[in-house]
Amino acid sequence: MTLSFPSPEFDDAVAAVCHGSAADAEMRALNELLRSDSGARDEYLMRVELHARLASEPDLFSESAEAPAGAAMSDLSLGDRCRISPSKPEAPRPKRRLGRALALAACFAVLATGVRGLWFRRLATRNGATSTAVAMLTRASDARWSRNTRPLRVGGALEPGWLRLESGLAQVVFYSGARVVIEGPTELQLISPTEAVCPAGRLLAEVPQPARGFHVKTAQINVVDRGTAFGIDATRGQTEVHVFKGAVEFFTGTLAKQSLGEGRAAVVQGSAPPRLMAASTEAFASMFELQTRSLAAEAVRYDQWRVTSARLNQDPSLVVHLDFESLSDSDWTLRNAAGKNRSVPDATMVGCQRAEGRWREKQALEFQSVNDRVRLAVPGDFQALTLSAWVCVKGLDRQFNSLFMCDGFEPGTIHWLIRNDGVLGLTVIGPASGKFQILASSPVLTVDKLGMWLHLAVVLDGKARQAVQYVNGFPVSHHTLKLGPPFRLGSAELGNWNARSGPNPAPSLIRNLSGSLDEFELFGRALSDAEVHKLYTEGKPESDM
Amino acid sequence: MSADSTRRFDDSSAAQQRFLSLFLRSEREIFRYVAALVPNVTDAEDIVQQTAMALWEKFYAYDPAQPFTPWACRFALNKARQWIERRQHWQALLEHGLAEELAQRRQELQTEFELRLKHLEGCLGKLPQGQRSLVEGYYYERAGIQKLAERSGRTTAATYKMLQRIRHSLQLCVESQTKPEAA
Repeated sequence: MTLSFPSPEFDDAVAAVCHGSAADAEMRALNELLRSDSGARDEYLMRVELHARLASEPDLFSESAEAPAGAAMSDLSLGDRCRISPSKPEAPRPKRRLGRALALAACFAVLATGVRGLWFRRLATRNGATSTAVAMLTRASDARWSRNTRPLRVGGALEPGWLRLESGLAQVVFYSGARVVIEGPTELQLISPTEAVCPAGRLLAEVPQPARGFHVKTAQINVVDRGTAFGIDATRGQTEVHVFKGAVEFFTGTLAKQSLGEGRAAVVQGSAPPRLMAASTEAFASMFELQTRSLAAEAVRYDQWRVTSARLNQDPSLVVHLDFESLSDSDWTLRNAAGKNRSVPDATMVGCQRAEGRWREKQALEFQSVNDRVRLAVPGDFQALTLSAWVCVKGLDRQFNSLFMCDGFEPGTIHWLIRNDGVLGLTVIGPASGKFQILASSPVLTVDKLGMWLHLAVVLDGKARQAVQYVNGFPVSHHTLKLGPPFRLGSAELGNWNARSGPNPAPSLIRNLSGSLDEFELFGRALSDAEVHKLYTEGKPESDM
Repeated sequence: MSADSTRRFDDSSAAQQRFLSLFLRSEREIFRYVAALVPNVTDAEDIVQQTAMALWEKFYAYDPAQPFTPWACRFALNKARQWIERRQHWQALLEHGLAEELAQRRQELQTEFELRLKHLEGCLGKLPQGQRSLVEGYYYERAGIQKLAERSGRTTAATYKMLQRIRHSLQLCVESQTKPEAA
């Protein structure tokens, strides 16, 4: 049997290979064709890739994700039910064999990890909007973008794709932490949080420790950071690499990997051996200046925040203040910084990763897996409450993404969350069991707000019987409270929820947040609009935003 | 527990957490890398499973300064080779160096694939309901072909053919959406 390309026989053979139903003769014929015809080979790879995507990206099928089962009483009634296909209310859970691979891998070390041993459950159904952003545009100076570049704004998230800067300067911070300044004319393709392509233009990259391995590809070479500040000046025919701090490695298809140390520069042209010279800071002066200005501005904002934060800690109505400063790898305790009210002991961190906060020096906690959470216990009865958080949401992966949720559905408790359609939700559970009220905003967390620091707050005033939700200091929804105080919080979690439903919660009960938190406050009173707005202005990342 | 064993426990548990967090981020890409060689889903998943174990065993040797996915893909390639060696059927497809050639070429085409396949979700949304539920049944629920055939009242051969057609129209759709400058 022989195959030609293109032909219906070729189509059938590729499909049969994907389905696992190809005969040996077909396999052999395909082998021969793919080795001799590069066009057929590329087409084959494209088809297989499409097939593999379908098999490996459950998110592609998010729209018709299954209906939550047993939604007797819960925030589930918040769910957007009309999107759930009534024809299959109990669609079988997808078999996640990849999940089992992971479970197996985990077996090696699951000794007595206790609460930290359940990561692989993450593979439960995912749905909702997920940002594919890899970086953020943090600063621009006289920047003129090419018409081919999508509209950009400072503070906005950047998805993989091209940035074409015709003139001026712009700073891009990758989610890995790498800070890159580009000077027009420059073409930069964002690939991932750790990777960019720069076929033509000039850039200055500063790469902190956690982002090591950040790499930039030009037409000639790959430059891999080894903990540095480096500059690149690329044209289609030539690349210059200048190392200002630390070292980089670079390589090409033909050249072996070479290391380039501090104060050194290399010029690579075609396949000729690289020419070495001294690094020139002058050539990158304007970019250094932007970088310095940006760092200085951040340091100032961070210091201002520390001052206002210390003042805030003296407020006697402040019950909990977690600022996530001084996180360490060995300590799972988070200090409650509230200075006047010591009713709430320190909180406990479970899982979570350390991340960068609103400013470079500010620490944050990143929630990612189903097990990541911060646990705390808040004793006492409250007539009013205010919750406030600085959060950077990566994606609304779950139907309900927890901000602050009391355990289970106990009387008098609350659940503060973000729904997967961007609605901010607060569920208030009545003093008698069985009664609850859902306060839902309009969809305020639109996709363009993912990947940036936001201030979210909710005020619950039991006496006035009203509740208000805020985004970045502005009220986004007002509600009349039908259920009165007292509110009792008890055991609660940030970034997750303990459903108290046994060891294997249904997917709808998995409500972990995907994103970072760098500050959380709980007040035992209702803050005014002005006070909430002040929390925002004193904490916002940039003074001019 | 003594202070020392507590520390060891913390170390191993921290390593495990690091490993899982890295692996989870790369898992889908590793799967697709393997699937370029062995496209059949259940077989590819077996290989990924074996790769996961090998990676964890060798995790102590992983240099965190290096990106995880390429490191993991090297293991995946080895595991796939071993797996193919034991199966004549797959050898027929991948012998005479084709496995390596495919792996290499896929890396080169990756940017191109990304560009096209980012339209996949949109294109899936455009499928007629019957086609969509078939794709969903096959790829998402992982229902067997027999079951899908019964559900739709087709023969298994016709169901396979239908899946082939749907993939073809998805491919045409993503290609028509891909304009050279619209990255």
